[in-house]
Amino acid sequence: MSSKEDILKKYRANIREQFDMPDLSDIQAITYPDPLMQFMNMIKSVGGNAIEVDKGRDINEIIRELYPDAREIASNLPEITIATRNPDKVGRARDLNGTDVGVIRGVFGVAENGCVWIPQTMKEKAVMFISENLVILLNKSEIVNNMHEAYARLSAEADSQGPMGKSFSDYGYGTFISGPSKTADIAQVLVMGAQAARSATVLLLPE
Amino acid sequence: MSTQHSKAAKKFLKNQQYAHWHDATFWAVRSKRDNMAYGLDEWEQLREKASQIKRHTITHLDEYLDQFATNAEKNGVEVHWAKDAAEFNEIVYGILKNHDVKKMVKSKSMLTEECGMNPYLESKGIEVVETDLGERIIQLKGQAPSHIVMPAIHLNHDDVGELFEEKGISNEKGNHDPTYLTYMARLSLRNEFLTADAGMTGANFGIAETGDIVVCTNEGNADMSTSCPKLHIAAIGLEKVIPNYDCLAVFQRMLCRAGTGQPTTTYTSHFRKARPTAHHMHIVLVDNGRSEWIGNPEHWESLKCIRCGSCMNTCPVYRRSGGYSYSYFIPGPIGINLGMLRDPLVHSGNVSACTLCNSCQTVCPVKVNLGDQIYQWRQQLSEFGTANPQKHLMCQGMSILYGSPGLYNFVTGLAHWANFIPAPLMNCGLNPWAEGHKMMQFPKKPFHEMMKGKVRSTLGSLCTFRSKNSEK
Repeated sequence: MSSKEDILKKYRANIREQFDMPDLSDIQAITYPDPLMQFMNMIKSVGGNAIEVDKGRDINEIIRELYPDAREIASNLPEITIATRNPDKVGRARDLNGTDVGVIRGVFGVAENGCVWIPQTMKEKAVMFISENLVILLNKSEIVNNMHEAYARLSAEADSQGPMGKSFSDYGYGTFISGPSKTADIAQVLVMGAQAARSATVLLLPE
Repeated sequence: MSTQHSKAAKKFLKNQQYAHWHDATFWAVRSKRDNMAYGLDEWEQLREKASQIKRHTITHLDEYLDQFATNAEKNGVEVHWAKDAAEFNEIVYGILKNHDVKKMVKSKSMLTEECGMNPYLESKGIEVVETDLGERIIQLKGQAPSHIVMPAIHLNHDDVGELFEEKGISNEKGNHDPTYLTYMARLSLRNEFLTADAGMTGANFGIAETGDIVVCTNEGNADMSTSCPKLHIAAIGLEKVIPNYDCLAVFQRMLCRAGTGQPTTTYTSHFRKARPTAHHMHIVLVDNGRSEWIGNPEHWESLKCIRCGSCMNTCPVYRRSGGYSYSYFIPGPIGINLGMLRDPLVHSGNVSACTLCNSCQTVCPVKVNLGDQIYQWRQQLSEFGTANPQKHLMCQGMSILYGSPGLYNFVTGLAHWANFIPAPLMNCGLNPWAEGHKMMQFPKKPFHEMMKGKVRSTLGSLCTFRSKNSEK
């Protein structure tokens, strides 16, 4: 077995000229006059759905209206009272298979590409992918312009508590999701619903 | 005089209809990339920053690898180091054996392809299931990828439909609709995810500052592969490690825009720790030549590559010859260069698969000087002993001819006599120029003769015109 030291020593010995790290603070990254509108447009263009929720409306009702035939709804969020399964309490991750709708919470959205940052705040992250349909709850004031802002925020907030009192650092997994799972691997024809959620809806919540 | 590449390309070109579709499909992807690039005023600035970050990182990689491994270990991840493909395969098998794994699902990884991991593990009795749809299709077909991002692009929907019928994945005979076939594959793969003992992912990036590995997919198969099985192994080439999130932001913005013309992949997933209900997570860092390549004065910049595939999408030769025409498992401009770094004796046939148009390095998001490097490799063919003797002889002849003006003028003056050689003699196998070309007609007077006296007078009148204009 070769050690880390052997490989690093060999690599180091072969480097010929070293280059400096560029300054990244002068990147003129795109911003939008109305980030929320841009975010919603992007979600639609990547095959997802974005809905602004009026003040005072019950999220459970909206989910019911969107998925009237859903039998199994999985969530660990206390406000999701229609949940039939809880990803914190299932015995094995695979027990979440057969979930019609998974409901999770996002921390912020990214206007340039429709991504929503979702740290794992439940015991089994399978709920984010195994569900046929995914509903992401997001406060509509939490939209950043671009990925530079997104990662700056992630660096600053990795340890701060998010949904369910958990931070990204707790479970050590998080993902940016932009729309539903998709593929064009058969003859370049775009099909929604490859291996993970077949539809993705972002519910944009009022202040 | 044909090279290994051009001989293989002949097979590809036999089906003209498909060859045309292939060309048009990749040009469409290139156009989508252009739309993305033109949509961002900062695109060229991002390319320059990305190039500089990579230059810095790979020339300080020993430090960043150390930092990455230290931070990953702090997160409870077991980090392994493999000097070559054989050691990588042994390490992975060792981990799987320790956990009594019978079946492993995996997401796409060009590194496991590079190391020949699947056949190795299968020889040890472990079932490996590819879960990216394209990879799954070619795995069932017993084929290798023909593109690094769109691995099954050489098959049409009828090919896939028939394959799925044969393998019992689809049950409606004759239904070759891509939506239906994708759904049937989803059902079949879902079962694999639920019953596998381990999941493997590659990594698009490793983050030194946090120890995260970052995996970008559209299908969500990397996340599915790690959501149910109790064991996660990540395979990473050394050069995938980058310093921090600020750098990641630059690459995340470019990877998918450059590769497929999308604003982002559907999932950009950060794996920092094992799932609370799973075993330790393992990361295997693989050298397999990289620590030597960094020392190559002309070709070290190939290590900047982020495997987006944009160089092959735009390459006029790749588009018209397909992935299987190249001898290395990575085709297109980056594959030509990586293949030469791997073994020039085996892969030098690929360096002819280039028109030196430099479209590749014009679109490359990290500015790898792909075309320049291919040109450099061509200069070394004699050294490797892989130069074509016929071409070599011709080049020697040409340097004598072009080196002596007297001989040149004499020969071009006589060239039109070649027009009298009977066509069958000129268009035979002995004349390699005639293959795929029509022989040209030599003019009676060489260009020099035709232009004698005219060049000076044209230049003269241009000068007069200019000075008259400037007086105004």
